[in-house]
Amino acid sequence: MDMPLAPLLEFCDVTKQFVDKTAISKLSIQLYPGMVVGLLGQNGAGKSTLMRCALGIIEPSSGEITTLGEPVHQLSSEAKTQIGYVPQQPFGYEGFTVSRALALHSSFYPNWDSELEADWLLRFDLDEDQQVQRMSVGQRQSLALMMAMAYKPKLLILDEPVASLDPIARRKFMSDLFDLAIESGSAVLFSSHITSDLERVASHLALMRKGELVLFKEMDSVREEVKLLTLAEGDSIADEVRVLNKQGNKVLVDNYSAARCPNMQAESLNLEQLFVALHRSETPQ
Amino acid sequence: MLEQINVNPSSGEPIYRQLSEQIVRLIVGGQLEAEQVLPSVRQMAEHLSVNPMTVSRAVQQLVEQGWLERRRGQATRVANRETSDSTSSVQLLKPQVTELLAQAKQLGISQDELKKLIDACWL
Repeated sequence: MDMPLAPLLEFCDVTKQFVDKTAISKLSIQLYPGMVVGLLGQNGAGKSTLMRCALGIIEPSSGEITTLGEPVHQLSSEAKTQIGYVPQQPFGYEGFTVSRALALHSSFYPNWDSELEADWLLRFDLDEDQQVQRMSVGQRQSLALMMAMAYKPKLLILDEPVASLDPIARRKFMSDLFDLAIESGSAVLFSSHITSDLERVASHLALMRKGELVLFKEMDSVREEVKLLTLAEGDSIADEVRVLNKQGNKVLVDNYSAARCPNMQAESLNLEQLFVALHRSETPQ
Repeated sequence: MLEQINVNPSSGEPIYRQLSEQIVRLIVGGQLEAEQVLPSVRQMAEHLSVNPMTVSRAVQQLVEQGWLERRRGQATRVANRETSDSTSSVQLLKPQVTELLAQAKQLGISQDELKKLIDACWL
């Protein structure tokens, strides 16, 4: 990747405290053009809070958030037209037909991509005369995604975007996502529990646990550097290796390399296994 | 060429490495010939449904290692390599065989037993 100029989204030591719970804790992250960041974490780990803070929908308790180069609580209207967001439960436009909803929506955005619109209508078999509220959940989700992508936002934030899409629709969506990230130099942040999709689509993985960002790195580096070690008697872990979780003699580590962990049994993990290993708790004695 | 490549994003092995190793095998095995034009990064990414940056990283690595060449403004091609090239098909498999031997030893499998297993799996 070329060295990017400025981050499109930057969190600096951000904490969000709700009355009874810390939703995100001292979180720092930077998203640059071209990044497709997959956000993974248990329900309640703070993913949606992070996204809503990035959009300025909720205000952090402490720390700085910069979105498209501007402080998030005073975004200019120009910056706002360059942000796309699809929440878990879209969405307005009830009482509209698809074509009227699209006509109104596109009128807000000068960069509207009519080709993408036509392509998605065709591919997802959306009927332009249908009432939005009569569409299936999956159809509504594809319409919401199309509405967010067709104006080529610089920053696209998607909360569980693909859960209701069928596999073919998901593939189409992913390839359009790449176009957006690479050709338009946008950054995408999306959460999903479908780890196999995340493994394909994400350039980077952001892993949250209980409000903390425990891992943020390139997907292929995750595959190379995050391992499950089985410690033998007398084995000790080098300082450079970061322990993410430990259960008995099984230790989940980041920054693994064979040189740092000589003669240790190290297991490669796919994302689902990694997720499970991260959340496994010490069994009570 | 696209049909001969497949990646498994859930294997835990970096995708760029899965890709570059397969392309090298196709070159060494002769399925990809010198000067043959490769599909674009975009086409490969779409076919495999993986992030194009990952494909780009694999191609870049193979260009640096001299397996592929990319001339300005042109498609990526398989490089012309010297016939005296020391890399043979057999050499390429050495890491996997070394790994296999290590596992066989852990399991207490003898050399003879391992050879028989390979013979039995050959078909």
